[in-house]
Amino acid sequence: MTSYNEVRRAKRKSIKWKKIPDTAITYTIILLVGFIFLFPVLWLILSSFSAQGSMYDFDGFFPKNYSLATYIKLFTDTAMYNYPKWFGNTLFIASMSCIIGTTLVVLTAYAVSRFNFSSRKKLMKVTLVLGMFPSFMGMIAVYLLMVQFGLVNNHWGLILIYSSGAPMGYLVQKGFFDTIPITIDEAATIDGANKFQIFIHILMPLSKPMLVYTALTSFTWPWSDFILPKLLLKQKDMYTVAVGLMSLGEDEFARFAAGSLFVAIPIIILYFFLSKYMISGLSSGAVKE
Amino acid sequence: MKKGLIILVHIFGILLVLFGVGLQPSAAEEGKTKFTGELEKNAVIRVLENDTAIKQGYLSELLEAFNEEYKEYGIVARDANMDQYSDLENDGPYGYGPDVLYQANDRLMRYVDGKHIQPLPVEDLETFQVLNDSAWDPFQSVVNGKEYTFAVPVNIQGPLLYYRKDLLPENWETEYDENGNGVPDMIESWNHLYNFSKERIEEGKWGYMRSFLEPYFSIGYLYSYGGYAFGNNDTDDTDIGFSKGNSELGASVIRQLAGIMDERCIDDTITVTAYSQLAKGNFFATITTPDVYTLFIDQMIAEGMSKKEAVDNLGIADIPLLPKSGDLSETITDWDSQLMSSIMMGGIQGYAISSYTKYPNASLAFIDFATKYEMIYRRNELLGIAPARFDVAEAVGGLSEIINKNLTSGLISVMPSIRATAQIWTPLQTFFQDVAKDPFRTGSQSSKYTSLEAFKKELEKVDKQIYDAIHTLN
Amino acid sequence: MQDTNKTIKTISDTSLIGKIGLYFKEKWNGIKDLVTNSNKKTMASFGIMGLGQLLNRQWGKGFIYLFIQIGAVFYFVFKGATDFIGLFTLGSVRSNPWEGITGDNSIIMLILGVLSVIFLIAYFMLYIANIKDAYNTQLRIEDGKLPRTLKEEIKDLLDKKFYKTTLFLPIIGVAVFNILPIVFMILIAFTNYGGVIVETGDLVDWVGLDNFKRILTLGQFSETFFKILGWNFIWAILSTSINYFAGLGLALLYNKKCVKGRAFWRGFPIIAFAVPGFITLLAFKFMFSYGGPINQMITGAGGTAIGFLDLDAGWTARMIGIFVNAWITIPSSMLLATGILTNLNNDIYEAAEIDGASLFQQFKSITLPYVLFATTPVLITQFIGNFNNFGIFYFLRGGLYIDGYFLASDTDLLINWLYNLSINNNYYSIGGSISLIIFIITSVISLAVYIMSPSYRQEDTYK
Repeated sequence: MTSYNEVRRAKRKSIKWKKIPDTAITYTIILLVGFIFLFPVLWLILSSFSAQGSMYDFDGFFPKNYSLATYIKLFTDTAMYNYPKWFGNTLFIASMSCIIGTTLVVLTAYAVSRFNFSSRKKLMKVTLVLGMFPSFMGMIAVYLLMVQFGLVNNHWGLILIYSSGAPMGYLVQKGFFDTIPITIDEAATIDGANKFQIFIHILMPLSKPMLVYTALTSFTWPWSDFILPKLLLKQKDMYTVAVGLMSLGEDEFARFAAGSLFVAIPIIILYFFLSKYMISGLSSGAVKE
Repeated sequence: MKKGLIILVHIFGILLVLFGVGLQPSAAEEGKTKFTGELEKNAVIRVLENDTAIKQGYLSELLEAFNEEYKEYGIVARDANMDQYSDLENDGPYGYGPDVLYQANDRLMRYVDGKHIQPLPVEDLETFQVLNDSAWDPFQSVVNGKEYTFAVPVNIQGPLLYYRKDLLPENWETEYDENGNGVPDMIESWNHLYNFSKERIEEGKWGYMRSFLEPYFSIGYLYSYGGYAFGNNDTDDTDIGFSKGNSELGASVIRQLAGIMDERCIDDTITVTAYSQLAKGNFFATITTPDVYTLFIDQMIAEGMSKKEAVDNLGIADIPLLPKSGDLSETITDWDSQLMSSIMMGGIQGYAISSYTKYPNASLAFIDFATKYEMIYRRNELLGIAPARFDVAEAVGGLSEIINKNLTSGLISVMPSIRATAQIWTPLQTFFQDVAKDPFRTGSQSSKYTSLEAFKKELEKVDKQIYDAIHTLN
Repeated sequence: MQDTNKTIKTISDTSLIGKIGLYFKEKWNGIKDLVTNSNKKTMASFGIMGLGQLLNRQWGKGFIYLFIQIGAVFYFVFKGATDFIGLFTLGSVRSNPWEGITGDNSIIMLILGVLSVIFLIAYFMLYIANIKDAYNTQLRIEDGKLPRTLKEEIKDLLDKKFYKTTLFLPIIGVAVFNILPIVFMILIAFTNYGGVIVETGDLVDWVGLDNFKRILTLGQFSETFFKILGWNFIWAILSTSINYFAGLGLALLYNKKCVKGRAFWRGFPIIAFAVPGFITLLAFKFMFSYGGPINQMITGAGGTAIGFLDLDAGWTARMIGIFVNAWITIPSSMLLATGILTNLNNDIYEAAEIDGASLFQQFKSITLPYVLFATTPVLITQFIGNFNNFGIFYFLRGGLYIDGYFLASDTDLLINWLYNLSINNNYYSIGGSISLIIFIITSVISLAVYIMSPSYRQEDTYK
């Protein structure tokens, strides 16, 4: 007469044994995935340390001669290509867009997820449809608008456009908020909190993973966006990194690789800084069932 | 009294209108009224130059010299600090464009339709008398029945053959100079270069190497056998001529040349590697523009040569002669009857003035300064360009003189300046890729170009594509 | 008699036209009531915004509305009216830069005209709000309550009406920077802004449906159009599903209990994510080129070089496109899935496992519905994003016109074709018309999918 616990223990043991090949397979896949994602980047890294200018000069995948010269040149040879300035420009634009954009989109998602106001469904349908327009046709309009506002060749013009476009992506955050039970909200209301306080003190702490996602994506976008800055920034010292790198001559591949890699650094740093927030949000037991 | 006043007012009004009409610039003078000759005091002129000029330090020299000269008027010229390929059409009307711009003729002349660049009183410039006539052509255009000149030519861009002098056979002077003119055969004629390349392949190296992807360099083969871009001297966009004449012979030459290369000639690999591979001695020769001379020298130095060695070993020559028959494997016994000159595509770069500038006279003064003898000479010294001024070309001699002469004799066919030019590149690029790939279509894929008719048919398709691209939506 | 009335009523109750009719009837009745019941103070707000509020001693609100009214008047008198008229005329004075004559710029007039319409609509909405507000205060007074003070209003905006506060700025931003360009583009499709007119800076005119007629009657277009449309759909479906499920799979993989150091392993895709997209595209273009490392290895081992991306490549090039796109997109897809999964209670999995459910069953019945629920809108957005992914084939394989296609290659998407046709030639009006057609197709499909999805219908499933 075995007890229920004994049965459970036995089952757990058999599950444990099954786990060994499972773990092996898991790690194999993880390593393979890691390799696939790392390899092109590794190649870029090694190219940036290459002593030669052109990327076709490597024998096989990797350069033959290495030197730090490119990196030094990247930051010191600023007569033609002022990389430090571009980097600073982009850092500024990306940070501001990230802060403003994330704030706006999260607020928007909260409003649509938690409030049932009259034009709500209409708004959701309209924004979904609006997002489907091929954006580059509207570039002319954006450019001429910016000319009217006098924001051409000005970083705030870009920040304005990125931040205004951010709320259009509210559906992601809304989807996340929809998975947080409304009972938490109601409990807080009973305790006397108003909606604004619920938002700040309850929902935000629970939404850390989503905030990480939003912050990372809105921070990353200005670094890789090429079309809009090319359109709006006229002078070379106002360029962002994306535009600047594209303006390099074809014999400057090592510098191109080095410049692009440097772009990856702030993003990776931000990721590691924010990764501790990617933990489970509901494990704190805010609601007594 | 009242009536009198009214009549007076009417007369005054009529006089005003007449007077105003009289003051209206006549059509002939339209566009040039801005150039009064009076320099604007304390003007700040923004100059857009090309990247090479900035990199090699020429622009800063030019600006310094100009600013020094015009100090008393308070006129300052500055680098516009913009992308060398900026489009004045987008920037100018809204106030973001440069005042003076230096760009290639096809770019500059595109601005004419929208009146973004100003017609210039070129007769007043110092450089007017000493410029090659053929150099002015691309910058002239007819608007409202009158012909205007829109830019001042500075630099003639034409392709040249770069090769390794030290890789020539030891005894070339005796063995490889059939016509005894001191120029090695494999440099002077495509047939001999073709054979020499084959010999080098047997030794495990390469001879002549070039990517055929770029229409700019491959078009010349079509031109040499009677093809052309647009009819009526490159102005009529209803007449596309890449399939005309015997241009299929040119296409066949391309295919033969691809046969002495490897697959890298199909995409742009060779273009990018040419500098270092020539420096390493893997390639014997290639064709490119004069302004990348320093890139070759730099690579050769990186391979261990001294500067003197590099300069001595790098040979530059005019484009080799083509066989009239279009067959590179033909043995040449009689140079005069079997060979002909190659026509290559080239371009002319020059200075123009934006219509939106606040300082037209100061800008004109700048152009006058930048195109004078000393500055053009210095430009050639630093950048290796072939000047459009024939006095400088003669003084410098060498290839600058050759290019200048080639322009006059029509061996350099300048890029068409009309708008429709933008449509020719992609169809041509696809065609040249196709032809270059053909020798490598072995095994499961069959060769597409088995006869001259095949080339002709395909070229006619290209013409049609270009025609459609230009006219369908009109 | 009564039966007929009943029948008519039932018909109007159920039919769509009936519903719309009923809607407007109710609105009209509401307006009538409001107008007839308003007292003098409320009527004052009809005339000048804020006056009613001021008369009710609501100083803060009153002055705000009054200020808006004055601002609006200034705008319309000095700029708005001319801009609005300009929308219809699109200018009449040609510019001549040679003589320094700045004429009318038709396109700017179009934009400013649309802007003035947006402002007009905004003003109108504020006007209505102002009237409703005055009316409500009137009702409160009639009920015996005091009019609300500014403090109370602000408190409300942070609580019950918080959505108004949060949505205020985003809606303005979206209206100006998203709606305006879209409306502009749609309007351009009905003008002749293209080709010669752009080149010579001439004035633009309205041409109605001319552009659409031209597109539909040009023979060469339709064949290419349908070929590209077909590939576009295949591409969008394949790439979206691969990216989505691979991202989800990776998220689940990293979430497994046996994985130590999750943040570190997740870092690899993040590194890929951190490198700007166009650089990755250029790097891959090089990798697959004839002189690139892959072909070097092949020729080194004695084989013939493979033209992965050249003009004969066909499906090889398409597959490479999908692979490269996956490489670029999966990291962010994984991040998203990870974020969504954090709210899924792990206890459910343990229970299911002990009950004997296999991994696949757990995935199918627990994970998938949950993640799909939270991300169906995102899935739709990603589908559209991939459908309109301009960059991938532009950088990877730009500059090819393949046989049988009119100004396009066999990997070009509709948006690349659009670019070749319109931007290269400056045919913005034709480009606008084609964009409109693409847009109508994609939006109809997406709306249909979205409205039928549980994310829209049963939003409260997990709440």
